[in-house]
Amino acid sequence: MIGGMRAARVALWVVVFLTAGVMAGAVLLDALSSRSTEPVWLSFVFPLAVAMSTGVGVVVATRRRDNPIGWLLLANGFVLALNGLAANYATYGVLEHSGSLPEADWAVLFDQSGWPTLFAAFTAIAFVFPDGRLPSPRWRPIALAAITSFTVFLLLSFLRPGSFEKPFDAVSSPLPQLPEAIFFAPFTIGALGMLASLFAAALAVRTRLRRASGIERSQIKLLAYAAALIPAAVVAGWVEGLMGSGSDTATVIGLVLVVLAIPLAIGVAVLRYRLYEVDRLINRTLVYVALSALLAATYAAVSLSLGVALGAGSTLPTAAATLAVALAFGALRSRVQMLVDRRFSRARYEGLQRVERYLVELRAGRAAPEATGEVLAAALGDPSLELFFWVPESEEHVDSSGRPAQVAPDSHRDLTPVRRGSLRLGAVLHDSALSERRDLLESVIDAAGLAIEIARLRAEVARRLAEVEQSRARIVTAGYEERRRLERDLHDGAQQRLVSIGLALRHVQGQLPAPSREAGELDSAVAELTEAIEELRELARGVRPARLDDGLGAALGELASRSALQTRVEATGERFADSLETAAYFVASEALANAAKHAQASQVTVTAARQNGSLLVCVRDDGVGGTRPAEGTGLGGMTDRVAALGGSLSVDSPPGQGTVVTAELPCES
Amino acid sequence: MRVVIAEDQALLREGLRRLFEDAGHDVIAAIEDADRLRAAISGDEPDLAVIDVRMPPSFTDEGIRAARWILDAHPDVGVLVLSQHVESAGAVGLVSQGGFGYLLKDRVLDVAEFLEAAERVARGGSALDPQVVASLVGGERDAFGALTDREREVLSLMAEGLTNNAIARRLVLTDRTVEGHVRSVLMKLDLTANEDAHRRVLAVITYLRAANHPR
Repeated sequence: MIGGMRAARVALWVVVFLTAGVMAGAVLLDALSSRSTEPVWLSFVFPLAVAMSTGVGVVVATRRRDNPIGWLLLANGFVLALNGLAANYATYGVLEHSGSLPEADWAVLFDQSGWPTLFAAFTAIAFVFPDGRLPSPRWRPIALAAITSFTVFLLLSFLRPGSFEKPFDAVSSPLPQLPEAIFFAPFTIGALGMLASLFAAALAVRTRLRRASGIERSQIKLLAYAAALIPAAVVAGWVEGLMGSGSDTATVIGLVLVVLAIPLAIGVAVLRYRLYEVDRLINRTLVYVALSALLAATYAAVSLSLGVALGAGSTLPTAAATLAVALAFGALRSRVQMLVDRRFSRARYEGLQRVERYLVELRAGRAAPEATGEVLAAALGDPSLELFFWVPESEEHVDSSGRPAQVAPDSHRDLTPVRRGSLRLGAVLHDSALSERRDLLESVIDAAGLAIEIARLRAEVARRLAEVEQSRARIVTAGYEERRRLERDLHDGAQQRLVSIGLALRHVQGQLPAPSREAGELDSAVAELTEAIEELRELARGVRPARLDDGLGAALGELASRSALQTRVEATGERFADSLETAAYFVASEALANAAKHAQASQVTVTAARQNGSLLVCVRDDGVGGTRPAEGTGLGGMTDRVAALGGSLSVDSPPGQGTVVTAELPCES
Repeated sequence: MRVVIAEDQALLREGLRRLFEDAGHDVIAAIEDADRLRAAISGDEPDLAVIDVRMPPSFTDEGIRAARWILDAHPDVGVLVLSQHVESAGAVGLVSQGGFGYLLKDRVLDVAEFLEAAERVARGGSALDPQVVASLVGGERDAFGALTDREREVLSLMAEGLTNNAIARRLVLTDRTVEGHVRSVLMKLDLTANEDAHRRVLAVITYLRAANHPR
């Protein structure tokens, strides 16, 4: 990965230096050239275009390493420089100082046949704009066809039969030339394929624009605005040419704008840098250009028509036209302003509508408050948007189900806090591009305030419930731990002490003459002690049977052997968490006690096994049935304890058909 | 009889020492943990080691592990394990090696029976606590349906490790009567008669455990 990154960086700078070298050569040759075939300004536009494409290419390729668009821009800059070099090399080496440069015929060949390369990079960018991937897998064959037709056309161009165009008609190609018969058909097909590829590229952008929403839509719109400069520049050039003034200022401005705007727009769109601001800027520019054009047209129409009507020399047409423009300006300006505002507020308007509809659904109970985050994502056109809720007690963010969430803004995503009055509700993590549209972001979040508050309360309830469930389980587990400690204390403390006392009494008894009153009294005292020890042992067993240390099977076996009923045990030898085994044991113990007391049963079967991720304990008797869980004294408490461990207890006791008590204790977290 | 006592509670340890000394036995060591017990056994092989199940450091089954070690390393030393309650099933299994006894602690209060069991173990016999036997006999009643109450009593005492003679004294019967009951029990349970007392215990216990765990 690191190696790949380094290789990419090296490749990047190799391309940049190559491009710079090629461009420097082209500029040098152009400066040396005494009779330029092209207008002077063209020699400025060319390096500008190369520099822009390469510069934006470097930025995009470094910031979005996984997006090929940066590399395509770099390729475009290089190809542009190469074409310029070829043209200048050919002009200098063939026309001006014939024979002064080596291999000038190659330069002529490239100059004459290499021009399709100028379209290749932009066509490819259109296919994969803005995320670097084709619009869908179905576009793969189309992209392949486009690459094939470009390659075929380019190769055939180099092998084209016949002489070069003037003024290079004297130069002969350094490559062999195909016979006309073989050349023509594939060349035509290649040309048509290439043309079709250009259309397909435009179609790819349109397809994307249709499907796109939110940020992607802005990205494509930005490219479309920049691309719209091309026909605008062409039209400006025509108009200038038609006017025949000999000036080419409009053409130059148009060309410079196109050359600068398109790579810039691509860069801004892909990097999302100030996306919305640029969006706004272009939008405004377009509208003001339209306004100016409208006013100019009004002026021209009025002055022309009045001039024709009143004859030349009158000042009236000019005055009237000025007046008309002045009058129209106010009305047009407010209209255009409204258009601008509507265009701008559209995202906000639609976003607010979306939130409003959701609030209605929410009130009607047709939508869940947990969906608030998704609604915000849709309303703000940012599918990556996430909503988090603030929990003041634990000072952390949680998601809509109350689980603690890591909220980490990075280079693509910003965090915007959500407040309602003085209450901190949470935060929205969203695409950085949205940060430039504070108005949109804040108004949509404000509108959704109530929903966010409800969702936050729900999340908090969910969180507290989870907490309570956990603490309940902890309490029960701690209770079992406490029982274990108590049992230990009874056995190791009190009971041993009683035995010691007994031994002391026996020792004293040993000193007395055998048949004496005192010896007899000591005998009965020791008998009392033995009773007490036995009772203590019973007590400890009730607190927690020590056999549980050997596993549930051992403890259930002991339980069965002490039962008044004939009891069969089928228990797994598997070990489970102590709290589960203890709970399972007490369920069985209670169920057995109930069977012995109320069910008039003669036989009981106790089973314990792992089943579907749970420890399943089942006590089945052949008694009279009809037990209700609420009446079962001990089972009521057991229901709570089992539930606290996330399990469930069921009692199935149809009259006359025995009783089945089943506890299911989940043992996989 | 030369006795080593391993019991971590001082009061009880001294009580046990006096109990054995009052009966004329020789307590050669009274210690509080398993490590010193091993040293004591290795140094001067006694006839009997009386061991508490729970001892330092972990207070879980040090006693049982020490007992197992003694039975393996010093088969001539009888081992009597004392426990606060019926615990590890592993202890019962050790009875099969002979020279092993497993009793609840408060049995020491019935001095005569306790000393009898201790001497039996020291001689290579067995002693199993009545409560353990009861849990073995108590589970599956059907298996003993063929036995009379008296025979069941005899069976229990056999499982505790008592000899015919001791059973006779305990039940206040003549030796001959007890022998009759034993024969009858063994026949009804389809066990072969065996003169060796601890083998007989083994057979009976194996039978009882099998009856409790049909699988």
